[in-house]
Amino acid sequence: MNRRTVVKGLLLFTGGLVLAPSCVMETSKASIRLKNLDISGEDEKLLGEVVETILPTTDTPGGRTLGLHRFTLKMVDDLRGEKDQKAFTDGLDAFKKLAKKELGSSFMEASPQKRQELIAAVNAGKAPQDVLAFYKLLKDHTITGYLNSELVMTKLRVYELVPGRYNPYFPVKTKQQS
Amino acid sequence: MANLNVDSVKQRTFDAIVIGSGMSGGWAAKEFTGKGLKTLVLERGRDVKHLKDYPTTNMLPYEFEHRGELTAEIREKNPVVSRCYAFREDAMHFFVKDTEQPYVQEKPFDWIRGQQVGGKSLLWARQTQRWSDFDFEGPARDGFAVDWPIRYKDLAPWYSYVEKFAGISGNNDGLAELPDGDFLPAFPLNSVEDHFKKQLKAHYGNRHVISARCAHLSKPNQIHLEQGRAQCQNRVLCQRGCPFGGYFSSNASTIPWAERTGLMTLLPHSVVQEVIYDEKAGKATGVRVINAQTKEATEYFAPVIFVNASAFSTNQILLNSTSSRFPNGLGNDSGLLGKYVAFHNYRARITAEYEGFQEYATDGRNPAGGGYIPRFRNLHKQETDFLRGYAAGFRADRSKNSDTSGFGADLKNQLLNPSWGIWKVGSHMMGETIPKAESQLSLSKFKKDAWGIPLLNINLDYDANDDKMVADYHAQMEEMFTKAGFTNIQKTDSHQAPGLDIHEMGGVRMGHDPKTSLLNKYNQLHACPNVYVTDGACMTSTSTQNPSLTYMALTARAVDHAVSEMKKQNI
Ligand SMILES: Cc1cc2nc3c(=O)[nH]c(=O)nc-3n(C[C@H](O)[C@H](O)[C@H](O)COP(=O)(O)OP(=O)(O)OC[C@H]3O[C@@H](n4cnc5c(N)ncnc54)[C@H](O)[C@@H]3O)c2cc1C
Ligand code: SF4
Repeated sequence: MNRRTVVKGLLLFTGGLVLAPSCVMETSKASIRLKNLDISGEDEKLLGEVVETILPTTDTPGGRTLGLHRFTLKMVDDLRGEKDQKAFTDGLDAFKKLAKKELGSSFMEASPQKRQELIAAVNAGKAPQDVLAFYKLLKDHTITGYLNSELVMTKLRVYELVPGRYNPYFPVKTKQQS
Repeated sequence: MANLNVDSVKQRTFDAIVIGSGMSGGWAAKEFTGKGLKTLVLERGRDVKHLKDYPTTNMLPYEFEHRGELTAEIREKNPVVSRCYAFREDAMHFFVKDTEQPYVQEKPFDWIRGQQVGGKSLLWARQTQRWSDFDFEGPARDGFAVDWPIRYKDLAPWYSYVEKFAGISGNNDGLAELPDGDFLPAFPLNSVEDHFKKQLKAHYGNRHVISARCAHLSKPNQIHLEQGRAQCQNRVLCQRGCPFGGYFSSNASTIPWAERTGLMTLLPHSVVQEVIYDEKAGKATGVRVINAQTKEATEYFAPVIFVNASAFSTNQILLNSTSSRFPNGLGNDSGLLGKYVAFHNYRARITAEYEGFQEYATDGRNPAGGGYIPRFRNLHKQETDFLRGYAAGFRADRSKNSDTSGFGADLKNQLLNPSWGIWKVGSHMMGETIPKAESQLSLSKFKKDAWGIPLLNINLDYDANDDKMVADYHAQMEEMFTKAGFTNIQKTDSHQAPGLDIHEMGGVRMGHDPKTSLLNKYNQLHACPNVYVTDGACMTSTSTQNPSLTYMALTARAVDHAVSEMKKQNI
């Protein structure tokens, strides 16, 4: 496997994800093959904006560019049982409704400022139970996907496949950062 | 039989047959070929060549489709093997899936199997400790099972012999209960592990934490380089197969070594159905093999046969080897074949935190996994209301953590700039269990597998002794943790079924007396001395040590015996 090739366009899904051609995006289907989840192309875009709000682009790429919404969909589809899958899709619907109610428009149409306010409230637990269940699944997988992404593992928080050493008394400064 | 033609029989005749190419079978192959014998190794699984057949070995975490995790579908279809900690996306191809080879759980038993060239030696956690006479004398002193027909002095030179070749790292700790050996440098304890060691010494005197002894080349010797192996590079991804040959497996070590003699014929996809007993000759003459793929039957012949199919599979083969001389299984005059099986009690764990040593963390990874606490309970004399005792693992870890409660740029910043958390410590129990007559294996009268072998019925369970041991481990460890200043102590009993310890043993036990045991002190069947059993099936009792090093030493010793008996024409 040619793993050393630099992240092309920073797409993470070298492993197993077939990204369908863009014309499919315009139809009502999600762009990745899902066995259990029923997710539309619109939903996928919305999830892209939500993960971008959870992990925004700063001086490094954010959740949407890294495809963490698609990563989450695949993980919920493959790793989680039926119960979590239902919680995810039901919660997504509830989230859409909540957005309409709180923002007066869909999440997609709202300004970044408004989106942040809504996610701040949900993140603080101030939302109905079904929305919180959805949000927790999305956030957990987004974080795992981020930390396990090629970008983070090769550039930002480097993972060593072959440390070649063990220092049992590694001196650190108390309360040291990174 | 497929072909009775004389030439064909000649082609299928060897000096020795070894059933199974795992941890113990690999040693039998190496020893026989090393002594100049033309050796046939029969392995029911596929071939796994060192390096070439480790497809995941160099994969980075993000190259795994599910980042290492198991899908819901795999977990649902394979509830048993999914409970094994090492059955994950990176190594699942080295495990037997539940549906591939069914067995009958008369009581819950998680039978974890690795069936390919190398067997479970590819997957093991590489912990290796010698037994001492406190272990060998256990049954005689405490009045259970039967007396072991060997003592430490019988096995000590063979421990040295296998340690030198396999490469075992460790310290000579000078403990009578865990004899020293021929070791490569140990992987040292970290600050908190050392702290715990000092605390135990100060408070108890006779309780010890040592660097776990493990089958890693911390500093290879010439003999390891000759095997084509190199220094362990601290990846701790061993279950995938190691690109450096840094840990001992049959695939990296004994099998290629045997191969190089030109005397080994290794046949994968060869399921041994039974050992053939010749009534007239009064001995075993060969084995009957079913090709795993074509289902075709072939017989192979040799004057000596080693059964190393892994403890319970070995029982299954012998129980299925019936003749009018042995209607209840080969060598089973005592009626004890399949009985007195046992395992290690791995139910109990304890975790805690430690606020000290903020000035230290660790860097890199420790292949040994930390410290080991040798058995201290009931060691010199009976002192509790349960028999025997337990060893324990002990490790301290300090990792960098991020506060993930927020979102947005803050969360990203947290994830990219984690800070050192406090030390977390943990220990797990490895308890001896008592082999009993009612703990037994038998063959299904109704169901056969795809290769015509009756399914194995497994019937064993915990008993009151095990429950008392769990309670004592929790109480003792809690006291020790408290004395060491650890806080937030949590005790758990997983109530996991037997089997997940992957240290199942017995059923073809060794002993002095053919009436009460199957094997003699050289691992020969009392009643059929040209058949040897040197895997976990031979174990009279389990003690507390991880068993594989003992299987290796017993195997090398038994081959030495077999070859000298062949020279004397005794077998
Ligand atoms: C995750 C894990 C961690 C472990 N950790 C440790 C540890 O730290 N320390 C330790 O000492 N032990 C450990 N073990 C246990 C260790 O792996 C076994 O004790 C050891 O491999 C047993 O050796 P064996 O030769 O008896 O069997 P195996 O290594 O299992 O080899 C048996 C071989 O026989 C073959 N076979 C079976 N039936 C037939 C048949 N009918 N015909 C032909 N071939 C057959 C199998 O396919 C297999 O290849 C661990 C095991 C696992 C899975
Ligand atoms: S820890 Fe050592 S033996 Fe295990 S995979 Fe890494 S380098 Fe190989």
